[in-house]
Amino acid sequence: MKRLTLYTLTTVAGFVLGGALALQMSGLIGQRSALVFADVNVDGWVSDWSISSASADGYTRARVARHGLLALSKTEAVYFTRKTDNNGETLRETCDYALTGGAQDALWWSITLYDAQSRLPANSDKALSIDATQIGRNDSWSAVISKTRPDVGPWISSRAAGTFDLTLRLYRPDADIIDNPNAALNAPKLSKLKCEGEL
Amino acid sequence: MKRAMLLIALFCAAALAGHVFVLNAVPRIIMNKAMTKMQARGVPVHGFALSARTTQETQTVVRPSPDLAYSICLYDLKDGGPLTIYAAPYDGYASVSFFDARTNNFASVRVGEGDEAAGAKLTLHREAQDMMESPGRQIISPGRKGIILIRRLAPTQAEYDKVVEISKNDRCEPAKY
Repeated sequence: MKRLTLYTLTTVAGFVLGGALALQMSGLIGQRSALVFADVNVDGWVSDWSISSASADGYTRARVARHGLLALSKTEAVYFTRKTDNNGETLRETCDYALTGGAQDALWWSITLYDAQSRLPANSDKALSIDATQIGRNDSWSAVISKTRPDVGPWISSRAAGTFDLTLRLYRPDADIIDNPNAALNAPKLSKLKCEGEL
Repeated sequence: MKRAMLLIALFCAAALAGHVFVLNAVPRIIMNKAMTKMQARGVPVHGFALSARTTQETQTVVRPSPDLAYSICLYDLKDGGPLTIYAAPYDGYASVSFFDARTNNFASVRVGEGDEAAGAKLTLHREAQDMMESPGRQIISPGRKGIILIRRLAPTQAEYDKVVEISKNDRCEPAKY
């Protein structure tokens, strides 16, 4: 009886530990961000090229299920995320940022702000994103990310977002972006304007 | 000594089994939970439902795009019969995408291009079915259950209102032949 209990406990402990390790390696528990696993990084905009691919391994599949359920495969859409500004500092609602960019080689693109839980922030400002239909086919554009609406120009509201990240979506991207994102992606720049308490 | 070796081997084997089990189970559990939530919010099995315009209050999945209108059909091919799917044409970006219960995006069709210029007519089958009689483009589901999603570009309320009208013509139903 004692021996059976010992074998049972050993089996249960091993099973639980193996399962917990799988969750940890997938970035579902612990402090590992999903972005740690990105295999593409273009000037701070990171992406996981195996998203929604049938060839994705179990870790990727688990991670995407948690952080990007119903994402499209990259021939239809690619997704880039960034959590820091151009100086590598975490994005937060207590600071204002300038987002600048140019035309994108895709049918349509957008940039959306999400809070630390991968959800749209709980504000009613109706300024959750900017997109190609708003910006037009301009070779250069700029937008402000802040808690309050700027006097002029496109705006993404960070009110009630806490620390946040941005997702750049490119729908029907040009093949060059898929083949060689570092050379082909016109990555938007993100610089801090000011933070609360700063003059 | 012999018993210690046996316990170590047992522990390692159980850890490996737990690892593989969790990796396989997590996507299915999350997808199943999402499908259950969608059903609770009125998304039917074998029928498209247009989601409310995406806001912080209406989001049901992580990282939704507020610029897209989503029409969702849940499917369950338990009876083996194929499904007829029709995505009505739209003056703007539109696509139909298929996800299995393991979250794989196993097919995507662009609406408004080529053969799908007048809307996308598709037939969804379980694997190894006879597809000779089926109309439109043929798609095979790797599993029994999943989600079909029509995305249409609608960044403004006016464009979303257009989608409300157009989406009334979308179809997701058992094939009638």
